[in-house]
Amino acid sequence: MMLTQTRRAFGKAAFAGLAAAAFAPMGRARAAETPLAFQSIWINDPEFIGYFIAIDKGWYKEAGLDLTYLPGGPDVIPQASLLTGKADIALTSLIETASAVSEKGATFKIIGAQFQKSPDSVISLEATGIKSIKDLVGKTVACPPLSLGTFKVLLGLNGVTEDQLKIVPYAFDPTPLATGQVDAVVDFMTSLPFIVEQTSGKKASYLLFYDFGLPFGQDLVTVNEETLKTRRKDIVAFMRASRKGWDEDFANPEKYTKEYENTWFKGNGYTPEAALYHSRIQVDLMKNPNGVFAMDDAWIASNLATLDKVGVKADKSLFDTSILAEL
Amino acid sequence: MKTQPARENARILFGTLIFFAIWEFLGATTSWGIAMVPAPSRILMQAFADRELYWLHGTATIQTSAIGFAIGVTVAVVAALLFCLSPRLELAFRGINIALFATPAIVIGPLLVLFLKGDWPQTVLAALMVYFPAMSATLLGLRTVDPRIADLVAAYGGGEGKLMRYVRLRGALPDLFAGFRVAAPLAVLGAVLGEFGSGTRWGFGAFLLSALPQGNPARLWGIGLASSAIALAGYALFLLPARRLSASSTAVTLAAVQKAARPSGGWAWQRIALAGIAVALPFVIWWLAVTLTHVSPIIAPGPGRTVMFLIEGRQAAGARAALLTALGQTLPVALLGLLAGLAFAFALAALSLLAPAVARALLPIALVAQNMPLVAVVPFVVLIFGRDVTASVFMAMLVVFFPAYVLLHQGFTTVPRAASDLVSAYGGGRWKQLVHIAVPYSVGHLFAAAKLVAPQALLGVMVAEWLLSGVGLGNLLNVSRGGLDYDMIWAGALISILISVAAYEAVGFIERKVGR
Repeated sequence: MMLTQTRRAFGKAAFAGLAAAAFAPMGRARAAETPLAFQSIWINDPEFIGYFIAIDKGWYKEAGLDLTYLPGGPDVIPQASLLTGKADIALTSLIETASAVSEKGATFKIIGAQFQKSPDSVISLEATGIKSIKDLVGKTVACPPLSLGTFKVLLGLNGVTEDQLKIVPYAFDPTPLATGQVDAVVDFMTSLPFIVEQTSGKKASYLLFYDFGLPFGQDLVTVNEETLKTRRKDIVAFMRASRKGWDEDFANPEKYTKEYENTWFKGNGYTPEAALYHSRIQVDLMKNPNGVFAMDDAWIASNLATLDKVGVKADKSLFDTSILAEL
Repeated sequence: MKTQPARENARILFGTLIFFAIWEFLGATTSWGIAMVPAPSRILMQAFADRELYWLHGTATIQTSAIGFAIGVTVAVVAALLFCLSPRLELAFRGINIALFATPAIVIGPLLVLFLKGDWPQTVLAALMVYFPAMSATLLGLRTVDPRIADLVAAYGGGEGKLMRYVRLRGALPDLFAGFRVAAPLAVLGAVLGEFGSGTRWGFGAFLLSALPQGNPARLWGIGLASSAIALAGYALFLLPARRLSASSTAVTLAAVQKAARPSGGWAWQRIALAGIAVALPFVIWWLAVTLTHVSPIIAPGPGRTVMFLIEGRQAAGARAALLTALGQTLPVALLGLLAGLAFAFALAALSLLAPAVARALLPIALVAQNMPLVAVVPFVVLIFGRDVTASVFMAMLVVFFPAYVLLHQGFTTVPRAASDLVSAYGGGRWKQLVHIAVPYSVGHLFAAAKLVAPQALLGVMVAEWLLSGVGLGNLLNVSRGGLDYDMIWAGALISILISVAAYEAVGFIERKVGR
């Protein structure tokens, strides 16, 4: 099937090429575009819609980039893609990136933050009455192994000790929360509360890590220091086009979510309602008066403070704001 | 059992209907049924609603499995031919062969994702799963030559070339197809596991990943059952040519029992040298790959650095402690799962002798469960068994019991006619047959089964640890990945492979002692 499509597409392209030879502009841009591989952090969902908009509108192309978008997944470690050269630019998480720099000697630079506030949350049914982290005492919480360290720090900051609650592993599936096998789960609040409400028929609520003593950003745009030196122009172009994509999304988050149901999101089987919820709720976590990706001094200071609390050594040099200054 | 096949078929049909009726009732009426084990009708309705997605993901999985299968068997057949012509070569490659067989797929998956692009991580994973069973079955077929025919070829002046052309290749066909039969479902399992992790958009693995957080159990069951169906179709595909080729279905899995080839007339030192090469070769290839590709050592440390990581430096003690703790959690569970799986397989095989109808009714369920991709089984296992040791043991059992059953069943059915006739003549029933004849006769098969499935038990437990219990080696590798701690990942991979190889060799050793 793929083959026939490609052939058909090729046929079309060949025909278009003949036509273009007569009417000039179309074919010209190709030679000028520089390849740039962008490693995302998870599978295609509304979390990355800003980039999809910029791709579909041709904004990377206009900026002279031939962008390859690589979706993420459980086995994909975006920082590793930077090290193997599979990707030139990647979305990463703060703690992992900082510890790779301080403990493994990687030379990563964070050049922008897609989420000002990370969607990491403690999610529960409203009826359970969890209104602060302190309310988790005596409860059972499902937490992904990868977030366990951070979650324990969060508990400590809120005066809860580990033995005051029961922590079980959590692997993407919200059913235990809906059926009451656990009282809360640690996950992004961008779609889970909606799905739990749909399946259990009860209202769900969430507490952001950000609001309970652990402020940090998420989906941090990260590059190798080397790339920053050698491909500065391309990185600036990427950031500019991506910001344009996100601004377009913020202006009307529902429009593109609906539009992409059968293209970018095709195959993942999300209900349109869940995708819409996701698109709407994430906007406030990303917006910044200085534009999306902004990293102001206060934000950097609070992220460094969080790293200090979870025991990862880092300083200001982890972040490079010079690209943002050029946008 | 030739008695009244029609009546027995009717009984099986009746049993199946009852099974589905109970499932339908419980799945539709109980609260846990609705949340976890949806009724068959609901699964079918969801699958019908998702038919377009099934088409998209199904074709991707089939394509990946087929390409991976083709690559895997091509390499396997070429390797088998070379090994057949030169037993020394086989001895030298023994280390690589066993390491490939024993490496838990969950360990290689993330490493493939590091270096390969596009659909290649899952395709190569499928190919790797295929290689060993296909290679060893083919080699067994090539080696098994009736000496009388060989003499005939020799008498007419034919050499090894003629023997290969007229006898070996033809004679190997049934074994070849038997190997393909076992390998085809494995290709599907490898493809789905790869798709789950690699970030691809298409394939049942990818579908499963995006469906997990949607709170839609009917969809999860549908995906699991559909993947199982593809794997079974792969099995069935090679059942037909094999049947046509030979009435006596040669057991593929026997391949694991074969003794290593001994170079004829070799000196002791020669054998020792070959064994040394066998051990060294995997490390040399690892070292070459890392050195020649110039990948950052943060990601791909060579064998030297990986071993030193556990021995030298300030992190070594901590790393050793972490690995030992993880092994302490993983190994007992894997062993328990292995024993439980073997016991269950034994019970099922015995049942097929004592009460063939019951065994035949259980078999389809066993087949479907066995061919469900491990990652697809996880949600149900959590829902039914929770997240403690029972769940992990169950996962290990699940991967272990079926191959073991096939072998044991074969052991039970190939009992020489004369022996069982003797028991019947003295008035012994089926039970006596089992205890006095079938069990003693199939001890060899039991060992073969244990050898074959021991590494699989480790895979089952590691997947469980990764996705549901959050302890042990599977969890350690997962968490280390997040922290970019590739030193730990390669060390963990190395240790898990060494343990698998050790388990394989240990069973082989006991088998040889008992066999004498």
